[in-house]
Amino acid sequence: MVLAFDLTPVIVLLPVLSFVIALFAGDYLPWGGAEVGIAATTGALGLSLWVALTLAIGSGPYHQTVYTWASGLDAVNLTFGVLIDPLSSMMLIIVSLVALLIHIFSLGYMNDEGEDGIPRYYAGLGLFSASMLGFVVADNLLMAFMFFELVGLCSYLLIGFWFRESGPSSAAKKAFLVTRFGDYFFLLGVVAVFATFGTAMFVGESSFPALAEAAINTDQVAVNTFGFSPQSWFTILGLLVLGGVIGKSAQFPLHTWLPDAMEGPTPVSALIHAATMVAAGVYLVARMYGFYAISPDALAIIAFVGGFTALFAASMGVVKREIKQVLAYSTISQYGYMMLGLGGGGYVAATFHLMTHAFFKALLFLGAGSVIIAMHHTEDMWEMGGLKRKLPVTYYTFLAGSLALSGIIPFAGFWSKDEVLFEALLHGLDGNTILLAAYAMGLLAVFLTGFYTFRMVFLTFHGKPRTDAARSPHTIRWNMKLPLVVLGILAATVGLLNMTPVAELTGLQIEFIHQWLKHGFAGLTTEHYEVLLHDYAGYGVAELHLSPLLPGAVSLGLALSGALAARHLYSVPEPVEHTAKLGRAKTVLYNNYYQDEYQVWLATGLTRSVSRISNKFDQGIIDGLVNAISSVSLFIGSRMRRIQTGAVNDYAVLLTLGLTALLLAVGLVGGWFV
Amino acid sequence: MVPPQYYLLLSAALFCIGLFGILTRQNALLFLMSVELMLNAANINLVAFSLVWGNITGQTFGLFTMALAAAEVAIGIGIVLVLYRNFDDVDVTNATTMRW
Repeated sequence: MVLAFDLTPVIVLLPVLSFVIALFAGDYLPWGGAEVGIAATTGALGLSLWVALTLAIGSGPYHQTVYTWASGLDAVNLTFGVLIDPLSSMMLIIVSLVALLIHIFSLGYMNDEGEDGIPRYYAGLGLFSASMLGFVVADNLLMAFMFFELVGLCSYLLIGFWFRESGPSSAAKKAFLVTRFGDYFFLLGVVAVFATFGTAMFVGESSFPALAEAAINTDQVAVNTFGFSPQSWFTILGLLVLGGVIGKSAQFPLHTWLPDAMEGPTPVSALIHAATMVAAGVYLVARMYGFYAISPDALAIIAFVGGFTALFAASMGVVKREIKQVLAYSTISQYGYMMLGLGGGGYVAATFHLMTHAFFKALLFLGAGSVIIAMHHTEDMWEMGGLKRKLPVTYYTFLAGSLALSGIIPFAGFWSKDEVLFEALLHGLDGNTILLAAYAMGLLAVFLTGFYTFRMVFLTFHGKPRTDAARSPHTIRWNMKLPLVVLGILAATVGLLNMTPVAELTGLQIEFIHQWLKHGFAGLTTEHYEVLLHDYAGYGVAELHLSPLLPGAVSLGLALSGALAARHLYSVPEPVEHTAKLGRAKTVLYNNYYQDEYQVWLATGLTRSVSRISNKFDQGIIDGLVNAISSVSLFIGSRMRRIQTGAVNDYAVLLTLGLTALLLAVGLVGGWFV
Repeated sequence: MVPPQYYLLLSAALFCIGLFGILTRQNALLFLMSVELMLNAANINLVAFSLVWGNITGQTFGLFTMALAAAEVAIGIGIVLVLYRNFDDVDVTNATTMRW
């Protein structure tokens, strides 16, 4: 056995250990638990790198059941296991690296600001990292679900870190409830997968994607499809699981929790958006992509929801005043792109975008965090301005993140987003109109992304300072600059790992992510997914021999024009709110299309009245029936008890009469009187 | 030798007198007496059959029953005393407080 792979559970257990230590001993540690968190995530990162290196030098992928926690004769086994393949090892590195940097950043954001409850904060971060790492290495759907729920719990704990104020605690509840709503479908999906296949393994001959594929091919495979045709039943299963994905990855219509989650500490926002919580949903689809790839309907829904969310969220990002709100909507929008990529048959593209986004979004949030610290906890961009000179490190790293987010060459986001759009277009041109529509929305969102990103940059850093706080900002220390610099470099360079247009142009083999994801278990490789997409989902490639160059140029042009429009409007010494010219459209956008309002209406107006009727039905009809039956008994009893007079003579009479009657009966039957 | 039918008739008569007493009287002491009559009716049966079959066991049983009856009377008298203490009377139809 390979030692690195055998140590994989340690990657998950290290942050658990830091959680325990920070929780119980954090008060006695000088940094309140940050040191154990940093040590644990460093260890996890080191082990993850070792694992990835072991994979890279050719030791095959690894799958091992660690613990069987429920088993029985003729029953399904419920297990915890570890699955290491190129996808999960890549994600391990992303998660542990971002978690490590966020721990370091938190030293500046939380410790230096003298917050209360620091040990609780680091305990939460540790558990959050552990849950996500456990989710990443999960080898079956049930284990994934359990860690998925843990991730949700940790987000609740951390968003509500400042629980004494009403905003964070209600935001935490909202995040928990909205994602729980999605997870409810996910749980149904898990149970249905077990009921259908008798297993929830992701990998192997008898994994559920493999069984599903076989069930569509032949009638010989015994899966219980509950009377549906295999194809449509698998689509239903996929959509059930997708419910959890939509909740966690903040896709329309369950995205409403995410902007509110900005109430939490900024490093937590960074962790949620970049590496853990939100990434979990998209990662789950990628993990069981073999299952989605055989269902064209599920893919179409994923792509359409993704494309729609990308545009929808980007449009709201345009009018927001708070720097973190803009970033929140950009996150929703970017995860929309990933969903579009997955639904559009671009497995590698989506995974690649997941990675680049993790780095540049963590960077942007940490940048925003340092701006907020510098601005004495002001988040409104209209009170900033001119921070470029005062915070050079933050400015340049934030600029790198913004260029990556808006997708401007050669920063990371350009390569990945471009590939997502290219894949969607490529398969869409083969006669798939839904994909084309999703592509069009994604393309339009590119312009908006460029616009709102640079609106944010110009309002925050350029022009003249608009308030006293912006004139004399707080200084930031090494512990905030270091993560920014590391992530800034990554945001600028990580896209170079997979330069598809350049590869096309020069013919070089430089699409490293493509090559990386080609390896792994037989059923979990890109090549297999392409076969599935082609054979089952009917994703062909149009005859046009489309080069990635032209679509790339189009989206780059759109991003640039968005950025230039923002520059024209906002890069002036004293910018004004141009979005006010949108009039009522701005009000609608600023209120998030009244999404919250209609969801509250759904809860209070609709659900409550329905439940009131149900309550009436339950109390009146169901309980009424039972009560009616019992009241008959009560009535009979109240009459019958009159026999019991309490006078001993009456009992004697009854005894005598009873005996006589008995004797008569016995005599009649026995023929005594004949 | 007296034929056994006469013993049985005596016993039946005694039993019916006792039963009549229980069904008609309200005084607890009379109740007790009536119960004793019924008990002795059974006793007569035991002794009579013992005589007819020439087996002494029935008569032994008769002695046992008498001892038992003595014990029963002791308890019965006790109950009557308690009845009187609680209801200032020995009328059994008054003691109905433990019904529903």
